[in-house]
Amino acid sequence: MARLRIEGLCKGWDFPVIDNLDLTVEEGEFFVVVGPSGIGKTTLLRLIAGLESADAGRIAIGDHDITNLPPYKRPVAMTFESYALYPHLSVFENIASPLRARRLDAAAIRATVTEVAKLLRIEALLDRRPGEISGGQKQRTALGRTLVAKPQVFLLDEPISHLDAKIRHDLRLQFHALEELRRVATLYVTHDYVEALSLGDRIGVMGRGGLVQIGSARDVFLRPRSLFVAEHLGQPAINAVAARLTGEGTALHVRAGNSGFGFPVVAAHAAALARGDIQRVTVGIRPQHVKVLRNGEDAPGHHVIDGRVEIYEALGANGVLVADAGGVNLTALTSPERDFTHRQPVRLALQTDAVFYFHAESGDNLLL
Amino acid sequence: MASIRLAQVNKIYRSRGHAVHAVKDLDLTVEDGEFVAILGPSGCGKTSTLRMIVGLEEITSGDIFFDDRRVNDLDPQARNVAMAFETYALYPSFTIEENLSFPLEVRGVPAAERRKKVHDLAALLRIEDILGQKPAALSGGQQQRVSLGRALIRDPAVFILDEVMSHIDAHLKLQMLFELKRIHQELGKTMIYVTHDQVEALALADRVAVMSHAALQQVGTRNELYHEPVNVFVADFIGEPPTNFFPAELDAGDDQPFLRAKNAALTFAVPVERARRLAAGGRRDYVVGLRPQNLHLDGAESGAAPAGGMLTAEVAINEYVGERTILTLVADGHRFRAQAHAETSFGRGERVCLRYASSDVMVFDAETEALIA
Amino acid sequence: MSEQSARLVRTLLLIFLGLWLILTLFPLYWQFITAFKSAAETNRTIPTFWPEVWHFENLAAVFAERTNFDALVDSFIIATGNTVASLVLGTLAGYAFARFPRQAGGENLAFWILSNRMFPPVAVLVPMFFLFDAMPWGTDSHLSLIILYLVFNMPLATWLMMVFFRDAPRELEEAAYLDGYTPLRAFIKVTLPLVLPGMISVAMLCWIFAWNEYLFANLFVGTKVRTFTIVIPTFTHGSQTLWNLQMAFSMIAMLPPVALFILLRRYMVRGLSLGVVKG
Repeated sequence: MARLRIEGLCKGWDFPVIDNLDLTVEEGEFFVVVGPSGIGKTTLLRLIAGLESADAGRIAIGDHDITNLPPYKRPVAMTFESYALYPHLSVFENIASPLRARRLDAAAIRATVTEVAKLLRIEALLDRRPGEISGGQKQRTALGRTLVAKPQVFLLDEPISHLDAKIRHDLRLQFHALEELRRVATLYVTHDYVEALSLGDRIGVMGRGGLVQIGSARDVFLRPRSLFVAEHLGQPAINAVAARLTGEGTALHVRAGNSGFGFPVVAAHAAALARGDIQRVTVGIRPQHVKVLRNGEDAPGHHVIDGRVEIYEALGANGVLVADAGGVNLTALTSPERDFTHRQPVRLALQTDAVFYFHAESGDNLLL
Repeated sequence: MASIRLAQVNKIYRSRGHAVHAVKDLDLTVEDGEFVAILGPSGCGKTSTLRMIVGLEEITSGDIFFDDRRVNDLDPQARNVAMAFETYALYPSFTIEENLSFPLEVRGVPAAERRKKVHDLAALLRIEDILGQKPAALSGGQQQRVSLGRALIRDPAVFILDEVMSHIDAHLKLQMLFELKRIHQELGKTMIYVTHDQVEALALADRVAVMSHAALQQVGTRNELYHEPVNVFVADFIGEPPTNFFPAELDAGDDQPFLRAKNAALTFAVPVERARRLAAGGRRDYVVGLRPQNLHLDGAESGAAPAGGMLTAEVAINEYVGERTILTLVADGHRFRAQAHAETSFGRGERVCLRYASSDVMVFDAETEALIA
Repeated sequence: MSEQSARLVRTLLLIFLGLWLILTLFPLYWQFITAFKSAAETNRTIPTFWPEVWHFENLAAVFAERTNFDALVDSFIIATGNTVASLVLGTLAGYAFARFPRQAGGENLAFWILSNRMFPPVAVLVPMFFLFDAMPWGTDSHLSLIILYLVFNMPLATWLMMVFFRDAPRELEEAAYLDGYTPLRAFIKVTLPLVLPGMISVAMLCWIFAWNEYLFANLFVGTKVRTFTIVIPTFTHGSQTLWNLQMAFSMIAMLPPVALFILLRRYMVRGLSLGVVKG
């Protein structure tokens, strides 16, 4: 058992995909890499697994440098996004595969496979072929195959992203509950921020070239280092409004749009913003910090602005409302029980102390 | 423009002696200009249904009408249906404009008219600025729109979309769904959208048809499906996180009847009227459904209806997911979920109290799984 | 499409199918009845479409000379030997082209190998004859034809196997590496089973080509080794061709490929990937 250490890792084809990436995943840590599709998350896993060779850099597990080892000599196990189950073998043989590779005896194999299958609740399927089981069951079979290998590093590539919502919930719990995954270093890759926040002891948000922020779930969600991080985490996505900062009297104000969208900057933020002499910013307002007020309701501590409903949809767990507020389109989260009609006037309460300010060009969070 | 009516439609696949009943006695009407989503898990028969509407699959029995015209024996072209797939093949060597105008060119539409149509459609889809580019240069979202454009350019009467969003990243999806909804509202065409993702279905459709095991379970708006699910399946499938279910039986009680979870001390208060009706019905086994959103941590605002009950449970897992926290709880051997505010910090092993309004308790017949109103 | 034109299309289709059926079945029927006619009946100016007397003894008569049976054995050895060689070489080469196209010389080399198949056979005939004549085993041997037929079968096997390997998901092999299999063991345990249906089809094609080949066999072998194809024309009586015996013998020679096809058919139609990747 050991930690995974990556130093100065580089990999590219026509352009750099991973550029000088450093990362340490401790023994027993569940590290989630989250990022948009095609950004290089899978490439990172494949480099660690040895399915791609690094252009530069070092990968070590414990004190053991594995950078130049072939995949079959590395103490890692990986699940593939496509599950990559062997179609001609039974579920049992699929799970047993790493043990067969080590030429263990039949009794030991049977015992181990049965135990893992019981853990994943797929004992009843052991005689079936992968073509005869559901997506969730395939996922568990693929996971079983990595579990029996008893590796020092687990690599999990989008294991549940393509399953139905309900199964995703159940399997997320499974990842929470599996002790095996919590004993060694695990690297889990997903494009779904809910999975990332739910599962990760630490979360790495991947952007162009590498990890743009590493931290706990609350770190990355409440203190995003850049607009990119803020935009990637959250559904519906954060409202990003190009705005100007203007001094009005003694207070600092945000102004945007052509018909008077704006609000006063809270004192704590104003102090931070005053440090740099900044006029143009991108204001980030999470939809759950925009409250759609009911008739006669007031919201102390919020800044209330008027708007008109552009789109409203009640989804399963919440309602999403897009309103035109002084020339700016604002998305708000509401209770799904409410109802709005197109162009209906609404009052929106902004929780201005939860707003982010990003640099207009670089996208850096100006409050950090 | 057309309405679509499916009447007692069946699809049976026969191969090597055994038959698979893929669609059972399906009745469904889609009004002219309506947007209907067919929602269900994989293998529920939704794709077979769609293929029969398009005309790619023979109808084993039953009828499909476009307006009042029976189309069972019509070829897909003759039905004037367009279908967009998840990955619509675009010609890589053509520009977007050429890709869009190609179907018109094939039909011999004059060049000037082609250009006008393509530009009108591009404006609608908001892809005017990329008309000169090749497909390879586009982002996923742009490709999706061009694909829609390829299907729309023919000006079909009915427009069918098959899981077109399932590989769009989550953080882009909602925007794209709203975009599609806007396109539908501006075009006013009859659209059918097939998906396994409830968010997609609810965000887009005027009405959602939920399918399972080859049969239509329920057709309705979001509120109908959410508040009056006809059975356990619909209650389970619509809503996120999934609904909590507890096998239960009726307890006569001292002053009024209530439901008690089997082999556990958990009890569920139901509105007095309903409890009386349950008692009068003489049934024994029930399933209680309670949505995670309707379980409120004590101290939190408990909604308008104070009449309700309380559960105490131990926190097993606390999942902070940004906008909210999902608690997985254990009480007396039953595992269930509750949705709480993002700031909820209860950790593993802590005991919490959860309140619910009795009007939010759904009761199903354990045998038929049907909702007991 | 209107009901009327649909019916017209159906009728035309039926007529076409009928003609096609006649075209393919007639030679078989003719072979069958000729095999049981007497020599005299086969030579009538006005042919008979049904034997007047069924001469079942024709089937035994072709084996009056034991060497005729040996010819079937020789054909079998050559066809099977060539098929094994083609498969082994074609599988390895096809794998290399599919998985390591750059190292293996790329698409161009793969295509060049296939283009060997497009040679007119006579182009290689003369040089091959002299080449084999200089070899210790000579031209009149099993080995000479086994090697010679590689000229035709190996390119085909290589190309087809390349296509099958390309269709076999690479991720399955990678999963096997991560399970701890060396590349060779992963190839045997995972990749080969995936392309097995394809391999069987390729084997059938190679085997049937080698079994039926006449031109090269006629020129290369004939004394120590004889294939059945060069035996068929030897059924003569003086200047008269014994059509009945030729047909009887060729009918018997048709049985092995037909049996092979029936035996292996179910492996050939099985899909390549049985739900490897998610739906």
